[in-house]
This record gives sequence, structure tokens and C-alpha cells, in this order.
Amino acid sequence: MRVLTVDDSPTILSMLRHVLSGAGFEVVQAEDGQKGLDAMKREDFDVVITDINMPVMGGIEFIRNVRASGVNKSLPILILTTETSKEKRDQGRAAGGTGWIVKPFDPEKLISVIHRVVH
Amino acid sequence: MSDLDEFKATYFDECSELLLELEEQFTAIEEGDRDTERMNAVFRAIHSIKGGAGAFGFDKLVEFAHSFETLLDFVRDGRVELTDEVVTLCIRSIDLVADFVGAAQEGEDLSPDFGAEELARFKFLSGEEDETMEEFDIDFTPVMVAVGDDEPIVSDELNSSAEEAGTESDSFEEPPMQDGERYWKIVFTPHYELYERANDPLLLFRELSALGETKIVASITELPELQKFDPFGVYCSWVIELHSSEVKQESIEEVFEFVEGDCELEISRVMADADNDLEPVNLEQANLEQANLEQANLEQANLGQKENIPTKEASETNAENSQSADADLEADEGLSLADLAASIEPAPAPKPEKSKPVVAKVKTPETKAATVQSIRVDLEKVDRVVNMVGELVITQSMLTQQMDDQLRARYQEMVRGVEVLAQTTRGLQDAVMAIRAQPVKSVFSRMPRLVRELASKTGKSIRLEMVGEHTEIDKTIIEQLSDPLTHMIRNSADHGVEIPETRLAAGKPEQGVIKISAEQAGGNIIIAVEDDGAGINRPKVLELARERDVVGPDQQLTDEQIDELVFAPGFSTASAVSDISGRGVGMDVVISNIKKIGGSVHVRSTPGQGTKMLLRLPLTLAVLDVMLVEVGTGPYVIPLSSIVETVLCEKAEFGYAPSGRRVLQIRGEYVRVIDLVERFEMEVNLEEHRRYVVLCEGEGNSKVALIVDKIIGQQQVVIKSLEENFKRIGGIAGGTILGDGNVALIVDVQGLKNTPEQKSAA
Repeated sequence: MRVLTVDDSPTILSMLRHVLSGAGFEVVQAEDGQKGLDAMKREDFDVVITDINMPVMGGIEFIRNVRASGVNKSLPILILTTETSKEKRDQGRAAGGTGWIVKPFDPEKLISVIHRVVH
Repeated sequence: MSDLDEFKATYFDECSELLLELEEQFTAIEEGDRDTERMNAVFRAIHSIKGGAGAFGFDKLVEFAHSFETLLDFVRDGRVELTDEVVTLCIRSIDLVADFVGAAQEGEDLSPDFGAEELARFKFLSGEEDETMEEFDIDFTPVMVAVGDDEPIVSDELNSSAEEAGTESDSFEEPPMQDGERYWKIVFTPHYELYERANDPLLLFRELSALGETKIVASITELPELQKFDPFGVYCSWVIELHSSEVKQESIEEVFEFVEGDCELEISRVMADADNDLEPVNLEQANLEQANLEQANLEQANLGQKENIPTKEASETNAENSQSADADLEADEGLSLADLAASIEPAPAPKPEKSKPVVAKVKTPETKAATVQSIRVDLEKVDRVVNMVGELVITQSMLTQQMDDQLRARYQEMVRGVEVLAQTTRGLQDAVMAIRAQPVKSVFSRMPRLVRELASKTGKSIRLEMVGEHTEIDKTIIEQLSDPLTHMIRNSADHGVEIPETRLAAGKPEQGVIKISAEQAGGNIIIAVEDDGAGINRPKVLELARERDVVGPDQQLTDEQIDELVFAPGFSTASAVSDISGRGVGMDVVISNIKKIGGSVHVRSTPGQGTKMLLRLPLTLAVLDVMLVEVGTGPYVIPLSSIVETVLCEKAEFGYAPSGRRVLQIRGEYVRVIDLVERFEMEVNLEEHRRYVVLCEGEGNSKVALIVDKIIGQQQVVIKSLEENFKRIGGIAGGTILGDGNVALIVDVQGLKNTPEQKSAA
């Protein structure tokens, strides 16, 4: 199973890589939404995990772009964010986000949330 | 290193980068650049610091960063005006964040009220109440938070709606269901949006099955006739029986967490014995969502997702049940084929095949895709490569050395190979050095804070200018640069720049300027710290130097030599010892640190106009171009960068200065002579005229002539520290291992000039 993780924080990226590759996922990482889109042009993924606040292209715009691209309508996208307010989360969902993960994340929970949205 | 430590290390690296970014952005903001992208960048930086801090349970940092972030958010969207006062508060707060990060890194505890004042200001400015903070604290307890636990609002709604429906919400928690007696009944009607967000009912059912035994029944009564059937329409709803004695309502709600608002959901407990299986007995309306409101959010009519709709034949159908709440909703959604067709038409026909190129759809320019990719590598790994390349360079130069004419004539092919190897090795060395190179910016960026602090402590007004911060130097050198640079800037701020009144009286602008610059010059990096202050007070320096026996009573010094005295150990010209520049230990620390990394320091001062201190640093630490010479019986190496020329002794003109010191006369210039054999207390066993003079350039264009026995040649060596492996020796900068396995000592030209022996010999 292939996961694309998009986050501008090296800390979060390294933790995600650790947890996800430990769970047997193939992990590709991108530092912002634009790089995430670039990665998606190059290869296909089973699930995408993205941060909201990022330079160059933020998570909301990234999700919108992914959904607009036509071929990724049924690709699960999880929003990874520290936002505890519902506001951000709803924005992400309105853009097409499938679900969310609240940072800091519990490794087991992260995996189970992924399994909740991926076949 | 444990995983956690590794993550922490990554986090602290990230923090220092983010803090630099913050510093930089706010410097620009302070100068009046109110670009909104800057505010976004600072918000993101603080946000990232907070995010990582939460993961590691640095609560104090999280709290501070959270309030800071809230203020920045308010500034960003205009709720709080970015006044000078707010900018100042932010800049001070960056320093505090740095302190919080530092404390977290060192595992230290800051005083409980550290940053309390700023915290209060944040809260005051952004009108934040303590309540929010408490709630926030709960979310960021060190142990990672379970997904979805942070929605108290929803559960409140839940309880109240449950109460309104005339049931006791408490009863959900109390007795677990007895198998066979009661079960959970879930009526689930997805909306269009559920599919649009790539959620899938089948996955939800799979997850429900994990909670207990399920019986899932699809209701397809809404399914239109074939002619009216819209392939992307939503017609299906489900009734699920969940048989489990353990499961609580919360667990079921959690399964539907991501589709809340995108479906209608009724969860109820049902008596198994009652009438019929799916008869709504005691229907408790637990979570009826406001579907119509959500519908307003429907953004586009581009229905690509709908291939997911399960249209499998349902085994059983129960019309009465599923019809309950969704009939009018479905109508509301306007799923008549005509309407849908109209709304679909303008949108491009969705084509699910992956082969279709996506490029045309992505509007961002291609150039962005070509941004520099980078990876983080443990510095130790890079150092290992650097060291091995160093050894390779040596081996290669040893090979080259051993190729005499005879060999060249006999093995042409091999010789050519060795020559290519030499080139490749050189290229490899440059490439490896480039990996270690970093812009000096990382050190420079710490200086604005220092200057701010110094200015406020001394009551002076000082502006800092930075030039050439993108100049790249070896990372190790950069790390060694921070202390000397700090001392030099402190010196400039404390002793150089005058107080405003004095400056005005001298006809200078009230605000003093300290300028730091970096540039590459040949094989060196020159870093300059310049101020427009009063300059070095030479009479006073000389007087002090004589007082402290640094300079003999009759010794005459040039202006340049007097200036250099500020680097003498234990020397301070500050009228009173200040807590900034300390007790004169500062500047000789600068010298020793810089020397340690093979650099040199020089000062130039113009009275009344200012002082300029120059740091000359090698581009890299690991490999040094040297001249291999013989002194006494052993090999020594002299850094090539300091050698001006070499002369055979019999061709050189020697003389004696009035002080009795031996000098070399060369092109009308008199240069001090140091015989290395004498200096290193060895036996001279060669006739004078067969020995060599190596003319070296020390600091400030002052030269020194070293006399050696033999010149062997030029080569590259890898520097090994003497202090680490043996102990510090005056006049020696380090050691190296030659190609033949012998150890050669590296001559410290600048050190030789300054050692006490030289003064006593004078």
C-alpha cells in the first residue's frame, strides 16, 4: 500500500515515515502541496495524508487540486492537523478531505484511521 | 539513538531553522515590510514549532506558542492591528520561544512565570480567554491524543437531542447489552457529499463488523426506473444490526465520525424479542444531522465519485424503516435526471482511467516542479565520507609523488590512469566539501537579537547591517564562528559605537552602524565586523599594554601593531569592566577559536571613524594544501596559503636590525627571520647557504621569513588535531600523516610570530 504524506515539518514527516513504514506502507513524502501534486503526477497512491498549514501550497488548496484532477475522486485524503477547532477541519472536508488525524497522533490510531478509509 | 531521540533531534534542527526564519521575517516586518506572505510565514513557523512540541509533551512551549500563534492569526486576518508595539512584542517573543526550545532541548526547567508577561499580552491582545487554553491543554497532553476525542460540542448536542427525544443518555453507558436480548440498530443514509469525499459505506460496514456481528440490509426503494437512473445518483440506504454485548454508542459513532454531516444516521438500541427484527422499538434519535445545511456546501456538480455506489441486490428489503427520514431529503437533493444532466453538462466528463494525463488540469507552472530536492543526512555520515576522501587524496598524492621519470617512461598507461585518478579525486573532494558547505546566514541571523540586546543594555542606538550572508563555508567552521563573531560584535557595540550624545557631538548620526559581511577571497572566507564608532584609542591601549608588560617600555610600535594589541590575552580597554564585553577575556578567545580552525584575525582602526575586524577563514577544515619541508631531521608542513615565496639562503640578503634581531632584506623590505631549527630547539646540521628561506605572510601584510633545511614539495594533507591526540604545542597548528606513514607537524606561522620567544629574542 502506498501513502503520500505532505507536511512542511521535517519532524512530522520523519515520525510519519517511521510509523507508516513500520506498518508496512510504502511512504512517499512531499514538503508542500505543490510537491504533493508533483508526486501524484509521477505515481499513484492508495491514500494521502496532508497537513493544512504549508508554504507554497497549503493543504486545502492541495486537496481541492487533487479532487479537481478528475482521476483522484475516490482517493482517500486524510487531513493531518493540530487544529482543534472544527473550522479548519470543515474547510478541509469541504475541499474534499475524507477524514482527519489530530496531531500529535498516536501511531496505532493513525494506522487504524488509515484502514478506516482504505480498502 | 532511540527513535524518540532521533525525532527530537530532527525537531530541534527544525526549530532552529524556523527560529531563523522568524528572526528574518520579523526583521523585514520591523523595517516596515508588511507583506501578507511574511505574516503567513511567521504564522506557519510558530505553528510548526507548536506542532512538534505537542508531540514531545513540551507543554510550556506549546502553551506559549499557542498564544503567540493565536495573536499572529489575529494579526494575519486583521483582527489585531500590527502596531510597532505588537511587532516589538513579537520580536521579544521569538527570543522567548528560542529560550523555551533551548530549555526543552537541554531538559531544563524554566521558572514557572517565564514569559508570563508576554503570554498575558497575547491573551489581552487577542481577547483569548483562559478557558480556551484549558481545553487546549487537554488536547495536548504528552501521550498522544486519540483521534476524535476533541469534540465536546458534538457530544453535548448529542446528549441534549437525546434528552429532547425523551431518553436518558446515561443509560447508554450503564448495562452492556445482553446477547440475544438487545442489539444496536443503525439506520444509515449517505448523502452525495459522502462519496465526493472518497468515503465508502463498505468500509464503514467493515469497521462495524469489527465491533461485533452485523447484519446489513440495503434499502433500494428509492431506486428509480432504469430510464431515470443516474449512474452518479445516491439512492441507497442501509439498516444495520450490530449484535454485541460490549459495544457502546460512542464506538459506533466513532465509526461514522468522518461522514458526520454527510449522511443521516440513527443509532438505537432495540429489543430482539420485540415484534419484528427491524421494527423501530424505542427509537432513540441519537445523531440526526442537519443534512440540508450541509447541502449548501455542495461545491461542484462534477460527479466523478459515484461509481462506488453499491447497487448490489439486497437480500432483504424493509421499506417502512428506511423511508422514515430521508424521503423528503432525497427529493430536496433534486435527483431528477434532468436536473442532474443539466448540472453535469458544463463540467468535463469524468474519466476514471488513470492513464489520462493530469498535467493539463494542474494550473501551477512547471518551473515549480523543478524546486531543489533535499535530504537530511546525519552529519557523522558526511564526516566519514570527508575523512575517507581526505585519505584518498593523500594516497593519491603519494602515488603521484612516487612516479619518477623512469616509471613514467615504462608505464605510460598506468601513469595516465593515476593522473585521471588525481583529477577525479580532486573533483570528489570539491563535491564532498560542497555537501558540508552552508551559508553563513545561519550564524549571521543570530546577530540581530544580540545587537538589540546590546543596544538596550548600553543605551545606545545601533543598526545592524549584514552583507553576503549567502556565502558558504564548511559547517564545522560555521559552528566555530558563532563565539568569535559574538565577541567581536559585543566589542563593537560596547567599545566601538559611542553613546548617542557623543555621536551627535562628533557630528555623526545618532544611530551607530555595525556591519557584518562575508565574502570568499581565493581559498579563504573573509568575515568582517565593522563599526562606525570612535575607533581604537591607541594612546590608551599602548599605555595599558606597557602597564601590563605586554609591551616593553622602550619598544616602539606602529599604529597597526597597537591595534593588534586588543587581541592580547587579558587585555581590555573598557574604562569600567562591563557585563557585556567582560573582563578582557573576549578578544583572545576570538583569536584562539579562529586559530583552532586555521584562520586568522586582523584589526584595522581609524580614530573617530570606526574599527574593522577581519576574520580570515579556510574554506574547509579537512584538507590543507601545504609545502612539505625538512627541519632538523623531521618533516614539517607549512600551509601553502601563507607562503609568499621561497629563496635559497645563499641568494638571500640577511642583515641585523638595531635591536639585534636578524632580518631578511627583500625588495626593499625588512622581514623578521625565524630559524625553525633554533625555534624548535634542534641541531643545525646543514651549512647555512644550502638552506632555504620560506617567506610567509602573516596577518596585516606583515611577513616573516622562516628558515628550513630542505624543501621537499607541495601536497595536500588531512589535518589531525594535536590537542586531541597529544597536547598543544606553541608554533605548531596540528599534525598530519604523510603518504609514507610518517607524521609531519604543521607550522603555525601566525603563532610563531607571536610566541614569547620571539619577543625575548628581540
